[in-house]
Amino acid sequence: MSVDLDQTPRSLLVCDRSSFLNEKNRISSQVEQLHFNYKVSLLLPECSSAPSHLDAVFNSFNSFYLIRNMPIYELLDKHFLKTAVYQGSVYGVSYRTRIDEDNCVALMPNGHLSLSLDKDSFELLGVEGKPSRFNHRTTCRYVVCVDLTDSSMAPGGRGYQRLLTGLRSRLQLKTDFLLSHHPGGGASLQDLLSRYDWSEHRPDVSSHTLTDLSCPALQSCDLQSCDPHSLLEWIGAVDAHISCENSSSSFLSSLVCPEPKTTVSRALSVSVCGLLLPQDVHRLIQQIRYYLEQPRLESWVSLTVHGFVDSPVSWRGNEHGVLRGGENFYSLLIFHDQTYQLHLATGAHDTCPP
Amino acid sequence: MSPADKKDKPADYQRVVLKNASPYHYMKVCLVLEDESTRLSAVDLKQFIISGLKSLYGEVGAALTFDLLKYDEDTLTAFLRVNSRGLVKLWSSLTLLGSYQNQACAFRVLQVSPFLLALTGNSRELQLD
Repeated sequence: MSVDLDQTPRSLLVCDRSSFLNEKNRISSQVEQLHFNYKVSLLLPECSSAPSHLDAVFNSFNSFYLIRNMPIYELLDKHFLKTAVYQGSVYGVSYRTRIDEDNCVALMPNGHLSLSLDKDSFELLGVEGKPSRFNHRTTCRYVVCVDLTDSSMAPGGRGYQRLLTGLRSRLQLKTDFLLSHHPGGGASLQDLLSRYDWSEHRPDVSSHTLTDLSCPALQSCDLQSCDPHSLLEWIGAVDAHISCENSSSSFLSSLVCPEPKTTVSRALSVSVCGLLLPQDVHRLIQQIRYYLEQPRLESWVSLTVHGFVDSPVSWRGNEHGVLRGGENFYSLLIFHDQTYQLHLATGAHDTCPP
Repeated sequence: MSPADKKDKPADYQRVVLKNASPYHYMKVCLVLEDESTRLSAVDLKQFIISGLKSLYGEVGAALTFDLLKYDEDTLTAFLRVNSRGLVKLWSSLTLLGSYQNQACAFRVLQVSPFLLALTGNSRELQLD
């Protein structure tokens, strides 16, 4: 009995160290493969206000659109396929649906449509799919994934007709939907938006300054510097405004900053929330590298990107579930000499990050 | 390759995969009380949770160490940190805590994760209206 009580569901943490100058670094593909980003947060030590070029990136994150009560068969509309899906990349994910209890939908930039359905809905839809990898004992959830750019899914084809009738007359799945398009933006989606109740949203940027923050002494080339879990814990504590100034004997909390530590007189923490595109995250990383090229008191910047917990897919379009937390995020620590440490984390219902 | 050579080439690629290695688990919990005007300080809350551990697991359970990382008195929402081995014990005693000072209460477990960072980026909190 005691053995069972000690166990917790699986979690994975992948730690990568490399340099932007190393041609084998995979940072751009790792960033690109997490399609649905919810929050980006940045920690700049020894900085009280963001330099203008970083500010410009925060304020130029792509807008996204919320369509209320949209029937999912609209994603198969001929005009939408022609103007949005075949041209560039569409990022779409159902909103206010929970993957552990509702039907969830995601449209990925490569034109793949992924539906995570409960058993009844799957049987009503009548389209080929497979049981979810995360079913426990009984199969109660199914995943349907179709490639909308495939020739069999061309409008008028058999596969297309079958899915369209399934979604239109049998399942009649409707949900609130978040949508974004790269590089066309709203113009490519206008036709779809005009038919429903929709609103445009700018990613929400907030920032605050921290003073006298104790932080781990981070040095790029020191490979044994800091244990990844304590480092992530410290970044999380800063992000959640949790104090690390405790002693081991205090009653409430014994959380401390990992050793060896230093104190920075001020630090800036900036976060952006919404449906954020990997392209924007990539642009931000480039600007951080540029920022670090100038000599500074502290020579590192930390960037954390959280994925949507209820997206049916995470990295590379692999199936994702929530179980308890649904976490899928990465944290990137960039140093002035162009080296980086990347930590990619997932919870129990996920595959290994790339 | 000598250590000196390695130092000249910091651009190496290194990848480590850690499975179930997280020493702690983090919980975001919210206390719901029958009488909403009741106020609890952080110390009261921690003492209350310890009493729950004690009633379910006895003295050994009461000795389980956990940290109250953050507490908001207005919403009665707290961030807890517990050793991964103690997660099930803490969670089960929170579930079974049913009364605070003779009034009905319940803990809502909002999020549980092996990473504290995950608690700050929960997309279920996205409010667009």
